[in-house]
Amino acid sequence: MNDVVDQLPNRGREAEMLLEMGLDSMEDLFSDIPEDVRFNGDLPLPGPQSEEEIISDARRLLGANIDMGSRPSFLGAGLYRNYVPAAVFQLVTRGEFLTAYTPYQPEVSQGMLQAMWEFQTLISELVGLPIANLSLYDGSTAAAEALTCAVRVHNRKASQPNTVYVSALTPPDKLSVMHNYCQGAEIEIRTLAHNADGTLDLEALNEAAGSCGVYLEQPNPLGVLDEGLTTVKSIIGDHTALIVGVQPVSLGVVEAPGHYGADIVVGEGQPLGSPVTGGGPLYGIFACSKPYLRLMPGRIVGRSIDVDGKEAYCLTLSTREQHIRRHRATSNICTNETLIALMGAMHMALLGPDGLRDLANRNMMACQRAKEVLSATPGVRLVHDAPHFNEFVIEVQGSAAQCLAYLDSNGIIGGLDMSRWYEEATSQILITTTDQTTLADIESLSAQLALWSTHMEVLA
Amino acid sequence: MSRLFEHNGAVNTGYSQPTPIQCESPPAVPAGLVRNRAARWPRLSEPEMVRHFTWLSKRNFGIDTGFYPLGSCTMKHNPRVNEVIAQLPGIADIHPHQPEHHLQGLLSIFYEMQHMLEVCAGMDQVTLQPVAGAQGEFTAVRCIQEYFRHRGEAQRTKVIVPDSAHGTNPASAAMSGFEIVEIPSLEDGRMDLDALAAVADETTAAMMITNPNTLGLFEADIKAASEIVHQAGGQMYYDGANFNAILGITSPGLMGFDAVHFNLHKTFSQPHGGGGPGSGPIGVKAHLAPFLPGPLAARRPASSGELAQAVDEHWYHWEQPKHSIGKVQQWHGNAGAVIRCWAYYRRYGSGLKAMSEHAVLNANYLRHAIHREAKKAGVDHLFVDGAETDVAKHEFTLSMQPAKEALGVSAMDVAKGLLDRGYMAPTVYFPLVVPECMMIEPTETESKDTLDTFAEHFAQVLKTDAEALHEAPTTTPVRRVDEVYAARNLCLRHPYEEA
Repeated sequence: MNDVVDQLPNRGREAEMLLEMGLDSMEDLFSDIPEDVRFNGDLPLPGPQSEEEIISDARRLLGANIDMGSRPSFLGAGLYRNYVPAAVFQLVTRGEFLTAYTPYQPEVSQGMLQAMWEFQTLISELVGLPIANLSLYDGSTAAAEALTCAVRVHNRKASQPNTVYVSALTPPDKLSVMHNYCQGAEIEIRTLAHNADGTLDLEALNEAAGSCGVYLEQPNPLGVLDEGLTTVKSIIGDHTALIVGVQPVSLGVVEAPGHYGADIVVGEGQPLGSPVTGGGPLYGIFACSKPYLRLMPGRIVGRSIDVDGKEAYCLTLSTREQHIRRHRATSNICTNETLIALMGAMHMALLGPDGLRDLANRNMMACQRAKEVLSATPGVRLVHDAPHFNEFVIEVQGSAAQCLAYLDSNGIIGGLDMSRWYEEATSQILITTTDQTTLADIESLSAQLALWSTHMEVLA
Repeated sequence: MSRLFEHNGAVNTGYSQPTPIQCESPPAVPAGLVRNRAARWPRLSEPEMVRHFTWLSKRNFGIDTGFYPLGSCTMKHNPRVNEVIAQLPGIADIHPHQPEHHLQGLLSIFYEMQHMLEVCAGMDQVTLQPVAGAQGEFTAVRCIQEYFRHRGEAQRTKVIVPDSAHGTNPASAAMSGFEIVEIPSLEDGRMDLDALAAVADETTAAMMITNPNTLGLFEADIKAASEIVHQAGGQMYYDGANFNAILGITSPGLMGFDAVHFNLHKTFSQPHGGGGPGSGPIGVKAHLAPFLPGPLAARRPASSGELAQAVDEHWYHWEQPKHSIGKVQQWHGNAGAVIRCWAYYRRYGSGLKAMSEHAVLNANYLRHAIHREAKKAGVDHLFVDGAETDVAKHEFTLSMQPAKEALGVSAMDVAKGLLDRGYMAPTVYFPLVVPECMMIEPTETESKDTLDTFAEHFAQVLKTDAEALHEAPTTTPVRRVDEVYAARNLCLRHPYEEA
């Protein structure tokens, strides 16, 4: 067992430092802590380890996980395995970025402030809205904060105050986050029905008019690109916020929601800049139009000048935030996901507009090829006859759970069991493709699904 | 000046991509959804992109750059092996919806971290799902809210917060729908038990407090406060922002708390990354555990069939709390941050107490050294301790009010003077109860030499001519930034010339 001296530069100098302060022992430093709240003895934990031992254990334990890159994987459902260029990882671990705190002292934080201002611009351009903050925690909290923001802005004039509508397709885990964020303000969340082909039921949408906000996704959780969303704003009107959740890569080929009436655009930023990382850290995109600016959550960087009139950047509109406004703040968020947003900015800067279009196309081509191959696979049916971006739903013979277990035993991560989201969909699987999907992956999935279809009774 | 949006060269992209998979019929975006106006993103080659962000990094100050005594933020060294571990495919390339037998390593690390935090905090159950301290506060307050609803005590609609609390406390409680009752601190900055007793009643859901408090003082009356709140039927909530001071010495559980959040990015060294990510797990006593967000990592003895895939003699699995409030993040929290903090914890193991001891040693030594150097330089009349105390904990406050009165030098002036000397400035103007406050937290990872030198520089800044100090900083990439100008002339993105 080693000593922990490598993290404590003053090990061995305690006596000298105490003596100078006129203290006798380390114990004197804690003389203000009453006996009756003291720990007795050492913490009942294993002893310290050296760096070498830790990395060895990490390799063993994390090596026991099955990473998606080790086999064909069709699991997405909100998190996507896009290739992130090497330069992003190299640059983001520069200590000046990695080990900085929130830029409270702008004079020595210009690098991160400017980078976040650039991030805001990149996101603003991507989604077609004039304002973006420098990230929320993830796509789900961004969506939830968008709902409460919409209520703050529209509640006074709403004929359905404290009411928002969200797509009935919204994954239950995301919906649960929304409920937790909305219940404090007593906001009721109602759901909007969908047609059998996976598109939004525009007739049913009329009931949302006069509410504070409507939350829809493009592509939607079934992977469907829904043209109907372009008419939503004209149905719900100016006094109801249209909030669109996006998969940001899709915006290389799919219209920016800000160009078809979205007031707020949110989304999981992860596919731009970050690996899936077990579901976090990610970054939530939050962009909006001007009427929402002063009631929006999160930090924003503004361009300013210094006392010499030189271009300089600083945090601005802070009076919305908890450290100033306390219980009247627009959100409690303090720590956000700046570093992951920085990775996003780096990835976006490398891609450029043409690279983003190419990346979107690669996702879409892989998806199209998977649809072609699987629709010709015996026993597999494509559930929605619709255009998709990078994922789609199939129906398999028998139970999806058993089918996925079979695929897993043959070295394929088959996708998401849709009954995890929609109880009745017990034989449906959400298949996701990304730029990392190969034709060989698709063919082995097809071959195994064909086997499953014909020999299900034996294989289950 | 390197400006990203001025790069618009002939290069198409900074990284060319392989040929896409070919299809029989090419996919088509529906006509009404085709994007005709591409995002006006810059066009950079990789060398240009690398230079731009490297240039930006040089205009930023991190712990790696120099001493970072930002009070309340626990800016300790971030060991680099943690970054190497976090890039392993067994964390970077795993999906939270993979089956449990794909994630035995992750689940075992989650279980180990839950257990370690339970031990250190004296709590019965920890969840790692909240992704930041403020979200941890929100989550715990939501659990307390559901607990009372479950017990038919929905009339408990108030949360008590001292006036010296972090802003997130009242903001998080308000987000959950609670009414905030703020109680004043005593003149010495400590909690006022009488004020607490006067407001604690059958409408009290919880009291939120940090200990040591934001002045760096240990609230010796904390058990009495817990008793007052518990007698009124309320819950005690511990803001773990200052946990670095007490680990292995006392615990929230011993002090009578029912719920606690941890800022893993402070105490356990997840790098702050210029504002995030963080990780804000919470721990609760058994009566609140059924309300936690799910799932939690759990374990049972592995069956003989499972042993081949097991990482030890246990089988790790997810478990849903019985009356869970649901989710606060769509997945399992910031798993990548948890892994880094696990690696950090392993460095200390049962020796975590030494971390807190050295954090407190350094804070008290720096306080002593600043007074010593100021006396030597004849500037000790220009500031006073923010609070009278024999010993501080992991941080301490100074009031620059005398300098303000004598010379017109503010805490902000001193802060900017320190920037010129190559230091990050301490936290200024917080907590609000100390006039012209500077809040200083050196952490355990600074050497005595660094602390001595900083103290000398601190005294020298105070010797600086007031006029010159108003002009500071002069050596930084930009000089004082006009925040009023930024707010009045909002420029929140690159202003392309509109066509």
